[in-house]
Amino acid sequence: MKLSVALLALLAGPLAAQSARARLEGRLPSAAIPAVDSLVQLAFQEGLPTEPLIQKALEGGAKQVTGPRIVAAVQVSLAQLRDARALLARAGDRPPPLPSEVTTVAWALRRGLPAPVVERVVAALPHAPRAAAMHAIADLVAHHFDPDSAAGLIIDAVHHGLQRERLLDVSTAALHELQRGHTQAEAIGLVRQALPNVPGPPKPTRGTVAGARRPGAAASP
Amino acid sequence: MNTIDPRIHQALDGELPLEGVPAELRPVVRRIAAAADLLAAVGPAVSLESRVMAEIRRPAPSRSRRLTRWLASPHAITFRIRPAWSLALATAAAVLMLFVARGGGPELSEHEGLAQFVGRFPDAQSVHVVGSFNDWRPRSLPLEDQNHDGVWRTTVVLPAGIYEYMFVVDGERWVPDHLAERLVADEFGRENSVVIVRPVRR
Repeated sequence: MKLSVALLALLAGPLAAQSARARLEGRLPSAAIPAVDSLVQLAFQEGLPTEPLIQKALEGGAKQVTGPRIVAAVQVSLAQLRDARALLARAGDRPPPLPSEVTTVAWALRRGLPAPVVERVVAALPHAPRAAAMHAIADLVAHHFDPDSAAGLIIDAVHHGLQRERLLDVSTAALHELQRGHTQAEAIGLVRQALPNVPGPPKPTRGTVAGARRPGAAASP
Repeated sequence: MNTIDPRIHQALDGELPLEGVPAELRPVVRRIAAAADLLAAVGPAVSLESRVMAEIRRPAPSRSRRLTRWLASPHAITFRIRPAWSLALATAAAVLMLFVARGGGPELSEHEGLAQFVGRFPDAQSVHVVGSFNDWRPRSLPLEDQNHDGVWRTTVVLPAGIYEYMFVVDGERWVPDHLAERLVADEFGRENSVVIVRPVRR
């Protein structure tokens, strides 16, 4: 048993790197592939998610960015993932953190959420998936809501039983109040009073569903 | 068949005077002669032939009028079908109704949602949407300008999640989606648009 686990651990690293290299071949300047590949391997060895790094490299290749700039962007992404993991540890998440949560926190920091606010949300929602909560707060901050007040509203919504994508409806409701002429503080107050009753998104029409198609190669980040 | 006495014929034709007819036949001759006078007084009647010819000469009713008349008049319709065929027919009708109710299109799982991409590019020859949902492959997902009004659009089924993307116009110009509510720096000096795909509500 121990031998098989050890073999698996020995094989897992090279297999992950091989898979990344196969996806990168022909998609970015060949000179950049070894450097990107080594960064992907490094992330894997550190227990960090590798998909955001691969996506960043593919994005650079598609945009016909030079090899050095692609490598630099992947390095920045790796640094963001490390920061995110450190933040999760500070906020009290039991190690090792879930790759999806590391990606979520890295996203939140990229979208401009202050690190203390992210820590507060992580600590307040210890077991729930936090992606929607982070994006809901980031949506409000992008419209000049006070980050602490925005985080407070979303945490309140969670305490009222709202979860996952429903939290995006909370930020949408606050933005609607803003459009009606209320200040940011008033908008937060109005939505907080209405919790948990916030309108959901409209259902897609039958025609919309009928006209939809699947992309050839879909990969969730 | 009763035969008429030939002496009555002769009397009516004037070949035999009434006095030459036996007394018992004279009333009959008189009644027939009176009836003949009465018919002559009424004048010539419209013959059957003339009525038939008049009907034939009348113009035939139009096709629509005949159809209307056919639809308005009652008809007996007999419908005979084997039970096996009726079962097959009912199944086919149910399948057809199910298809119509679904409205066609792809079947979405509970972890999938729809992303709608719309952009206005009046002079574009082609527009593609490229992002983390299709491994940033530049030509895999085209938008369509069906009305030729410069508004390009497509709807895509994606696993629920958060994706970055941009439009590629005419295969070379990278443009963010200005209608997107979320933008994020792409580390290459531009901004990617962000779409959050939610599971479709049922």
